[in-house]
Amino acid sequence: MSLFSLQDIRFDVPGRRLIDGLSLEIAAGQVTALIGRNGSGKSTLLKLITGQHVPTSGQILFEGSPLSDWPRRDLARALAYLPQVTPPTEGMQLDELVQLGRYPWRGALGRMRAQDHARVGEALRLCGVETLRHRLVDTLSGGERQRGWIAMMIAQDARTLLLDEPISALDVAHQVEVLGLVRRMCRERGLSAVIVLHDVNMAARFCDHVVALGEGRCLLDAPVDALMTPEALARIYGVEMSVGASAHPFALPL
Amino acid sequence: MRRLALWGPLAGLLALSLWMLAAVQQLPLADWPVVPYDPAGMTLDQILLAFGAMPRGMVALLVGAALGLAGALMQAVLRNPLADPTTLGLQAGAQLALVAATLLAPGLLAFGRGPVALAGAALASGTVLALAARRGFAPVTVTISGMLVGLLCAAIATALTLSRGEYLLSLVIWNGGALTQQDWSGAAILAAVLLPALALALLMARPLLLLSLGGEGARALGLPAMPLRLAALAVAVVLSATVAAEVGLVGFVGLAAPAIARRLGARTIRQRLLLATLAGALLLSLTDSALMLLAAAGGPVLPSGALTGLIGGPLLIALLPRLRATVPPETEAGDRPAPRARHPRRVLLVLAVLLPVLSLATLMAGRGLGGWGLLDPALRETFLPLRATALLASLAAGALLAGSGAILQKLTANPLAAPEVLGVTGGASLGYASAIFALPSPGALELALGAGGGAALALLALSAYALRAEMAPARLLLAGLAIGALSSAVLAAIMASGDMRAWAVLGWLSGSAARATPLGAAALTVLALLLAAGGMLAGRWLQILPLGGAVAGALGVPVTAVRLALILGAGLATGAASVLVGPVSFIGLMAPHIARSLGLTRPRDFLAGAMLTGALLMGLAAFGARSLAYPYDLPLGLFATLIGAPWLFAGLMRRT
Repeated sequence: MSLFSLQDIRFDVPGRRLIDGLSLEIAAGQVTALIGRNGSGKSTLLKLITGQHVPTSGQILFEGSPLSDWPRRDLARALAYLPQVTPPTEGMQLDELVQLGRYPWRGALGRMRAQDHARVGEALRLCGVETLRHRLVDTLSGGERQRGWIAMMIAQDARTLLLDEPISALDVAHQVEVLGLVRRMCRERGLSAVIVLHDVNMAARFCDHVVALGEGRCLLDAPVDALMTPEALARIYGVEMSVGASAHPFALPL
Repeated sequence: MRRLALWGPLAGLLALSLWMLAAVQQLPLADWPVVPYDPAGMTLDQILLAFGAMPRGMVALLVGAALGLAGALMQAVLRNPLADPTTLGLQAGAQLALVAATLLAPGLLAFGRGPVALAGAALASGTVLALAARRGFAPVTVTISGMLVGLLCAAIATALTLSRGEYLLSLVIWNGGALTQQDWSGAAILAAVLLPALALALLMARPLLLLSLGGEGARALGLPAMPLRLAALAVAVVLSATVAAEVGLVGFVGLAAPAIARRLGARTIRQRLLLATLAGALLLSLTDSALMLLAAAGGPVLPSGALTGLIGGPLLIALLPRLRATVPPETEAGDRPAPRARHPRRVLLVLAVLLPVLSLATLMAGRGLGGWGLLDPALRETFLPLRATALLASLAAGALLAGSGAILQKLTANPLAAPEVLGVTGGASLGYASAIFALPSPGALELALGAGGGAALALLALSAYALRAEMAPARLLLAGLAIGALSSAVLAAIMASGDMRAWAVLGWLSGSAARATPLGAAALTVLALLLAAGGMLAGRWLQILPLGGAVAGALGVPVTAVRLALILGAGLATGAASVLVGPVSFIGLMAPHIARSLGLTRPRDFLAGAMLTGALLMGLAAFGARSLAYPYDLPLGLFATLIGAPWLFAGLMRRT
């Protein structure tokens, strides 16, 4: 069974059609990159599959059942989402942020049990932010903060992670760190991830599968190797690029 | 711009014919005097026309033009479609300066009202800008700071007016923005200010266009942003202060005129400045001529300012959707990490111990016939129950306002959110006023029901709006402000009617704990405890909601329902408390701020600390209001505002 199954999705905003008849299967257990030019509908698609937007027409299945049928709490237990711009967290410590990930399991009133604290501790450790747990989130560096938010998603115990441009404001070292972390989580814990990315080289290096969008339609839906050809890149970005290879394939504009 | 070619002349023609209609009602065209006017050879009716109706029509045009230009300038400088002399507190500042000068130092007015009004407006705008600079001139924050400064100035002006009742009538009529004229001097002064201001504004049009790229962008193109901002704002301040000095408060024309200009397709800054000036002139002229016709037809004599306020509230709400595109989200972020107490429980414990200590002290001690001292044992039986009732009611009201402020601040992730801003208190005032005017001799219960009903209605309107607009919290605050502006406009019209019942409303507006009944005090206490309990239960929501709808939704929080429940809770708490303390107190803003500066950041600690602080503050205010002018009770709400607000502004501006 595929993770997400999109059937002829359309999504309109007044005066514009952002997603135009998209049908797509996203497989479980792998890292899927969502790429495309600015305004191609990547972020919109991500918001559709998190349930933040409701498609104008068409149906989205998540793990076999329609997204709209999922109770909110159950969906939050299965699906974790990282927004493109993480909001300011006034006066919040990192461990408190990560604890918020337990909300889907404990609700507004349920007591945090030993098992919840264990999950939080494990998430902090897996993301390498254990030593920062008592720091204020707003005082962390960009990469540390992003890893902290991912720790929250891990503590959420969701099987699927959805990330909207998680590396757009980070330097290359932090980019590698964050994407490496997501990939490691998927490999070691059997999670699935869908990541909106701008950098084709990062997509090629860290993802298994790629979905490319253009004007709300699917341009490419293939294993990531198929992305790294001059023809595919020209079709997606409209720019001539040359593809080379050292340890991994890379692409540069001509 | 094609629409302009059609609508411009049409509106001009309409304004002219409406004024002519009103003027001909006064005196048939055949009897009109000929230029030059010489009072010696004219009949009384001719004099009334030539030195009353004619300059009045001119003043309406000039005032409207001045406000339209001021609004367009401010909106261009602050890049904020909601900026205008009313929303930025300029008019209220000028009003306060004039009221203070009239009552305390009439000698200052020897040089005319202009300089005094200018000083007040400049002080108010300086305060707003200093507050706004701390948050990068983010539009929503600028507007909220401006409205707060406006509320504060109005509260102080009311306190001054109440303290010297004999001047009340002329002041409130002036407050209402009546355009009545006795000669051409007002028109001359306005024209002498407007024309150079317009010339200066047009000279600044191109630099202002660069500034619309933002401060950094403008600097990169070689334009020093600060001097330009200050110069343009100075022109706007002079314009609004002149208007305030000549005719008083005329609300929201500065907001409406640029909005109309934009609707007509004014794209460049130069077009906007010119068109907004024109639109403001025609708008106010139409309004004033309509009111003149109404009065001539035997209707009530209403000041134009009150009517423009009525238009302004709904307009503000209509403009809110425009903000989506213009608010850069990152500039709304706080600029310093909040302090965090290492042992929040200990801080709370100290506050919880202080509360009974203070209560006992204010119960037993105070000012009596024999001066300061302990309560005479012989009088205890009479006085203690009275004092206890008033104290309990004050503590509960303080806790309610503070709790609702704390909830709203968490809900909107904006430390300037407060129940006073939510419009609920405005609705309560309107309900109270309607009860006084509609019922022959309303008792305490009817009045409480009136105020409560008004608060509930405001709340319902707010919730309906909030649900429709997908509950963007910042816009919710602005919608609340719009409701507040609407109610204060109606109140201004009521006051301007000169009815003696207006006194009762004015007295309530300033609040008093002495009116509290044991039943009322008990009810408020129960409500306060309920709010505290509800807030504790909602602690996790209060932690998640500041992170925004997307994150909260992804964590499985039913965002809309939770937000609605919190708004309703906060609104009910505010309405109940404002029945006692009057509509403005600033406790709801101050107490959460103090709690935050004590380092209480986790939602439950924050809420508990804010409620305790609010109770403490209101207890202190009640004590002061009772004792300072013994044997008279000073207004409680005003006392709370006056002790708290300056401290609050100082705290908000302090650099860390």
